[in-house]
Amino acid sequence: MATMAMTVSTPRSHRAKEVRRHVLIYLGLVPFLILAVFPIFWMAVTALKQEPDLYRMDVVPFWFHLPPTLKNFNLLFYRTSYGAWIVNTMSISFWVSVITLLTAVPAGYALARLRLPFAENLGIGIFLTYLVPPIILFIPLSRVVSTLNLQDSWWSLVVVYPTFTIPFCTWLLMGFFKTVPFEIEEAAMVDGCGQFGALCRVVLPVSWPGLITAVIFSFTLSMQDFLYSLAFVAFSGQKPVPLGVATELIRGDVYFWGSLMAGALLVGVPVAIIYNLFLDKFITGITGAAIK
Amino acid sequence: MTDLPVGGAAPDASLPATLAPRAGVRAMWRRPSARRYAFGYTLLAPAVLYVGLLVGLPFLFSLYLAMSDASVGEPIARFVGLENFKAALESPTFYVALRNSLVFTIGAGIMKSLLGTTLAFLLVQPFKGRKVVRALIVIPFTLPIAVSVLGWKWMFDSQFSVINWALSQLHLIGGYGSASWPVWLGQPTLALFSVMFVNVWRGFPFGAIVLLAGLTSIPPEIVDAARVDGASFLARFRKVIVPMIAPILFIGAAFDTVFTLSDLSIVYLLTNGGPDGSTEILPTLAYEVGIRAGALGRGAAISLFLFPLLLPAIIILLRTLRRRQY
Repeated sequence: MATMAMTVSTPRSHRAKEVRRHVLIYLGLVPFLILAVFPIFWMAVTALKQEPDLYRMDVVPFWFHLPPTLKNFNLLFYRTSYGAWIVNTMSISFWVSVITLLTAVPAGYALARLRLPFAENLGIGIFLTYLVPPIILFIPLSRVVSTLNLQDSWWSLVVVYPTFTIPFCTWLLMGFFKTVPFEIEEAAMVDGCGQFGALCRVVLPVSWPGLITAVIFSFTLSMQDFLYSLAFVAFSGQKPVPLGVATELIRGDVYFWGSLMAGALLVGVPVAIIYNLFLDKFITGITGAAIK
Repeated sequence: MTDLPVGGAAPDASLPATLAPRAGVRAMWRRPSARRYAFGYTLLAPAVLYVGLLVGLPFLFSLYLAMSDASVGEPIARFVGLENFKAALESPTFYVALRNSLVFTIGAGIMKSLLGTTLAFLLVQPFKGRKVVRALIVIPFTLPIAVSVLGWKWMFDSQFSVINWALSQLHLIGGYGSASWPVWLGQPTLALFSVMFVNVWRGFPFGAIVLLAGLTSIPPEIVDAARVDGASFLARFRKVIVPMIAPILFIGAAFDTVFTLSDLSIVYLLTNGGPDGSTEILPTLAYEVGIRAGALGRGAAISLFLFPLLLPAIIILLRTLRRRQY
């Protein structure tokens, strides 16, 4: 409707209309923006506040009344295993990415390219396992973890996280490989490459954006887990960051709010930024099937 | 050529989908050939095996566990038939958890659709700063769930809640300790509302972005054609826009339902099912019984009660995905 109005009105009134339209949209968006961003802002302020400053209800709490401090971060690194949790999280993500790439890349390629009988159904089948939630699997998987003798070690999470990263990334890569033209493979095969050679030498090099996307999702989806780590890893030095922060900074009824927020944001914000950059691919990944 | 991109990103949209086929090699792709099948299934095997061994088998194993008296300390389990399911159905806690799970999922679902739809229709308009606004608004969804729940736990603090501070400044509630001072996580109804609210907070950007993807996938010519044919705004919306974005909405809703119904972390970290079981949901109950108390069989039975609740979502998804083929 706005475009119709544009064509019939004079430039001046058009300008006024545009301004009014913008004001209305911004007014509508403000509540959403506050709702979405305020908790993060509040966490950041809390992380940088001195302890006495946290517990004052007589002044406006949104800003500092004592100078900001990094003490809360110090406590994280010197009095908890936060450093170890970061290392654990990174190691878990690394190995989960390796397993995911080694399985999902060939599978996605085969499903997209080789015109296998039942390929479509197999693809849907693999994708559907992404929808079997951890809450149904964690009890039987706890048996698997103890059989493998991995309880209380972050390696248990390396074993279970691919149960959701493989289905998702296979699906994602399948869509990705469908967009790589057949011709480049054919050219390679005419030049004497075998099918596998064509895949390794020609298809994978042009597919690096897809591979990076798969690695990113192995990381961000692993970071969204809480249940598996809670159920399988109880030993402090082996925990990933989200579990460590949520369980080790609460002693009985005492909450170390400043350090809790510091520890949560220090890892949460980078994850949110990376995820944010790749969010469209996530949405296309799960909904792309419906857009034709 | 129906090989449209399904997921992921096109490396280069300008690459042509079809070029003149080189007859010989092309025929090799088309013909059924034992070698190509062997190659294909070999490539598929690792993923299928991994998922089969660690999703398929455990699922079947959980059916078995649910019919046994397996526990953490007891290596040998006895078959007990439907005893665990019966025990669950006879315990009042189970009904509270089931009711809360349903209230939680449906209530939060309604709130998320309302907020998500409003937001999507705002974001679909062209305006300055749209990208920045979008990036900020999806933060709740992209932040690791345990991280943001901790932030909310602090915001819901019984004494130093920043929400209460704001409300009391607006004179909507009395001072700390007065009867009108809400203890968000300490009063049964408020606690259930609070855990739902955190789920809504996390889920509404997802709803908005999915709907936005649907809206932008409609070719404007179609809506214009309907307008030219004299369809009113409401008619265009009901007869053109809604049917076109229905599949994508179904998928978004199915995903959200599965994750809401099966999520443990919000309730576990905020209230741990309390006060007095008023926010107990099936996932927290399954965790308590299965892992904390070590009754694997009983826990597996409780978590399996989620399956029939999840099934409609999975069926909707399956049907939407399969329709695409034809």
